[in-house]
Amino acid sequence: MNSTNRGANRAVILIAGLVLLVAGAAAVAVGAVPQFRDGWQQRAPEVQKTVTGWLYQTPLGDSGHSWLWIVAAAVALVVSVLLLVFILRQGRGHTRALLSDAPTDDGRTIVEASVAEQLLADGLSGRPELVSSHVSTYSVRGTSVLKVSVSCRRGVSPREAGRMVEQLLLALDALLGSEVPAVVQISGGFRVRTAGSTRLQ
Amino acid sequence: MSDTVMKPAAAGGSAGSGRLYRRLLRRETHSPKSGLAIVLAVIAILMLVYVGTECVLRLLGQPALLVAPARLAQAVIDAPTYPAGALIAGGIVAAVIGVALVIGAFGGGRRARHTLPGSRAATVVDNEVIASALARHAAKAAHASADNTMVSVSHRTAVVRLTPTSGRPVDRDAVVRAVDEQLASYEVKPGIRSRVIIREHGKVGA
Repeated sequence: MNSTNRGANRAVILIAGLVLLVAGAAAVAVGAVPQFRDGWQQRAPEVQKTVTGWLYQTPLGDSGHSWLWIVAAAVALVVSVLLLVFILRQGRGHTRALLSDAPTDDGRTIVEASVAEQLLADGLSGRPELVSSHVSTYSVRGTSVLKVSVSCRRGVSPREAGRMVEQLLLALDALLGSEVPAVVQISGGFRVRTAGSTRLQ
Repeated sequence: MSDTVMKPAAAGGSAGSGRLYRRLLRRETHSPKSGLAIVLAVIAILMLVYVGTECVLRLLGQPALLVAPARLAQAVIDAPTYPAGALIAGGIVAAVIGVALVIGAFGGGRRARHTLPGSRAATVVDNEVIASALARHAAKAAHASADNTMVSVSHRTAVVRLTPTSGRPVDRDAVVRAVDEQLASYEVKPGIRSRVIIREHGKVGA
């Protein structure tokens, strides 16, 4: 429902996994394979010499330091900020607009999401088969989509609960004169386990 | 069977609405893996901020917080001098976590949910709710208490475990019939097969 970039999530997990895998495999190889250990002992000081050479070739004024340190710190900062943005972009995608008609000569009509949310919440609140319900609106690829989450009491048929919510949605359609795409989520959860069951036929 | 997508929504038209509902159902029945990704991102941020701080301290000629970058590099270069056992053990732990993450990155991440057919909305239902509804009907058919009926629903199967009340024999066929009837009426996708297990020994006073 939300606009979380799931591909990015998988990419972050994949990169972290590959880094750990390569580092772990290298450690095992250094510990267990003599040729690899010898190779490491030969090559590592050379690499160190090369990097040290870069640091000497890039002096920062007459401070005696290399400006590569600034570059390294800046790269670390930029990547940190990108990761922070990645974290903060999770779970977003709510919208306040439900319907907006094209403007006419007389003006424009915008229906706010809270209209549908409150109407549905009102219809759901009195239901004995539900422990709780929540309605929210997301923008999915430019379309406003209603999300109706209901928690059923123990033993309630999911099909009946689904039908009941659909009836409410159809009534909403009649009221709005337009059909808003909707997702219904029927869940259990902690509150359902602790709350009592209701009398059912 | 795909009547979740039959009725076009006002916004978008038939084909667009079908695609929208398919996308919504897929996103509702699969995990975004946000939790794991966020934890890894936080660890990466902490490490990067630490490295950045050490770089700046080095530049300012201040003493390092923990380890100067040069000594950190030296520690990596000196890897062959560490005890082989520790290297191998640590490497295996890191590699196993790495493999688990790679599998997690490519894995399906399916949630314990099923989809229900509906003409108006895309509906998903937690397996827990299906199990609880089945438990009520199985208990009723067996004349047992709902508290002595355990149902676990997975992607393809529902296992009903019934402990009968002592002295009241359970009609197994009636339970199977009741459970199958319920499952058929829910029309969940993917379909669920049932398995009924009735304990040999009953429970007194249940």
